[in-house]
Amino acid sequence: MSKNIIELKNIGKIYKSEGGDTQALRSIDLNIKEGEFLAIMGPSGSGKSTLMNILGLLDTPTSGTYILNDQKVSQLKEKQLAKIRNKEIGFVFQQFNLLARTTILDNVMMPTIYGNIPNPKQKAEELIEMVGLTKWISHKSNQLSGGQIQRVAIARALMMDPSIILADEPTGNLDTKRSEEIMALFKEINKKGSTIILITHEEYLAQHASRIIHIQDGNIVREERAK
Amino acid sequence: MKFLTILKQSVKAIMSNKVRSFLTVLGIIIGIGSVIGLMSLGAGVKASISEQINSLGSTNLTITSGVTAYSKGSYMSSDDASKAQQNSSAMLGSVETLTQNDLTELTKISKDLVENVAGYVSSPVIFKVNDEEQRQTLIGVSSQYFALYDLKLASGNGLDASDSKNIVLGSQLATDTFGNTSAIGQKISIMETEFTVVGVLEAQEESNFSNPNLQAYISDADAFKIFDSKNYNGIVAKATSEKTVDSAKAELETVLLRSHKIDDKDLADFTVTSSKDLLSTIDTVMSMLTSFLAGIAAISLLVGGIGIMNIMLVSVTERTREIGLRKALGAKTSDILIQFMTEAVVLTIIGGVLGMTFGYTIGIVAGKFLDFSAVITLDSVLLAVGISSFIGIVFGIYPAARAARLNPIDALRYE
Repeated sequence: MSKNIIELKNIGKIYKSEGGDTQALRSIDLNIKEGEFLAIMGPSGSGKSTLMNILGLLDTPTSGTYILNDQKVSQLKEKQLAKIRNKEIGFVFQQFNLLARTTILDNVMMPTIYGNIPNPKQKAEELIEMVGLTKWISHKSNQLSGGQIQRVAIARALMMDPSIILADEPTGNLDTKRSEEIMALFKEINKKGSTIILITHEEYLAQHASRIIHIQDGNIVREERAK
Repeated sequence: MKFLTILKQSVKAIMSNKVRSFLTVLGIIIGIGSVIGLMSLGAGVKASISEQINSLGSTNLTITSGVTAYSKGSYMSSDDASKAQQNSSAMLGSVETLTQNDLTELTKISKDLVENVAGYVSSPVIFKVNDEEQRQTLIGVSSQYFALYDLKLASGNGLDASDSKNIVLGSQLATDTFGNTSAIGQKISIMETEFTVVGVLEAQEESNFSNPNLQAYISDADAFKIFDSKNYNGIVAKATSEKTVDSAKAELETVLLRSHKIDDKDLADFTVTSSKDLLSTIDTVMSMLTSFLAGIAAISLLVGGIGIMNIMLVSVTERTREIGLRKALGAKTSDILIQFMTEAVVLTIIGGVLGMTFGYTIGIVAGKFLDFSAVITLDSVLLAVGISSFIGIVFGIYPAARAARLNPIDALRYE
């Protein structure tokens, strides 16, 4: 079996605020294998988004160890973190984080501002074709529908050929039909070898994954394998 | 990160808020505009004064009575100054000390050094022509004066050295006074003395310092009589060439010191000034004035810079989520810093270029009205671009640093 791309040991996260501290994550132990399609489920406030932000190097845990690709994340400098976010991780956010008043093509090409790949324009055009938006390539992002925007975000996440795709409720604002389309896209990407971590609270979407973990009050409470 | 991409992004960000960007750079436009405008006006005034001084004759040396402090290498101590005063003259030419004997002595200087020497004594007087009175400048001149200044007669004769009560008029003065009728032979009454017009000069080029076309000339002998004086206001000597100006100046000083029986050069009761001295004095004064005015204008640049900082801070706040997104996609702290710095600098350089255009327009328009041409120098172009990018960097660094320091997750969550 393939190696662990992500190892979390005893990860905890406390948010400090004036109204008192909030324990978002208590003690998370989780290994994710290369090429896995993992779904993380849980009610809102369970800590799943916090977990995803830590996995994506956007936030740092208060305790515990995070090993990504055999590297201790806590030992990495800001510059190295930025490089990993650029090359190794592709984000698809719950909110449609595209640059407004900017064309689809430029949005998809955004990661290449911060890192180099050969033929970025050709790559972007291929990805846009893959998500079925070639017709809209020079449209501005604010001229698109929600589903289209989310597909642009997926194309952008794939731009640097990352080993991990992190998707935080990517279909949260979409209807069932569109959601299924997006999930089909993820499955296709997963087949090509990318590790996919999907956060959702929809059971039927989680069923696309090969493994599902359930989080509640900052702990992993249950784990199931796909049938 | 690719420079061209950042530049494109910055221009796009600026253009996406055209009105706001324009209002923001307005302070820079006005600041740079007034600095450049004043500088080009100053340079223009300087150039036109230099030209006029040169038209007076770059080989001319002017001897004036008294002491002018600026022409000395350094200011005199009060001791020296009082000694100089006791020595016979007051400061700053209030008493004429240039005698007819001085002129005779100076005329004896070798023709290899000094081509020509002429003395003059002038005063504003009231002319009475056919019972009409007018105020004019009357100059009593020694015999070589016309030759030295290259003044030619259009009609009639020149002056002789005696007190023959003859007068020569400048061309414009002649037509102003006598109209189309010939001025020759007409009578003009000055201070109860009747003069006969014997000649009219050809029209001369005028300068800001004097207009020979509006002046009247009589012999120095007549002038000493009616002004009740024995001395010249000034003596003009023409050096043989620009190369001999300095040695001619030294020789004039030696002769005059001897004639005035003064041993110490620092105690001289006269001043010899060459056009070059005059030029450098005017140059100093103009530069001081220009930098003073430009300095005041530069204050508006400071205000403009604060405006830039303010808008950049607003922009950083508005685009917090964009910053978060960029960081999530791999932007380093330095990438964000550079992006916002570039935006501030591009903004100020646009202001600088517009301001420069504005400034030159002011210079050219004002120059048209004031009758000289504004001078556009490469210095001022570089200064405008330099200053505006400097302002961009200084006032852009704080907002940019604030943007760059944002924690990616806080930035993404920002509502």
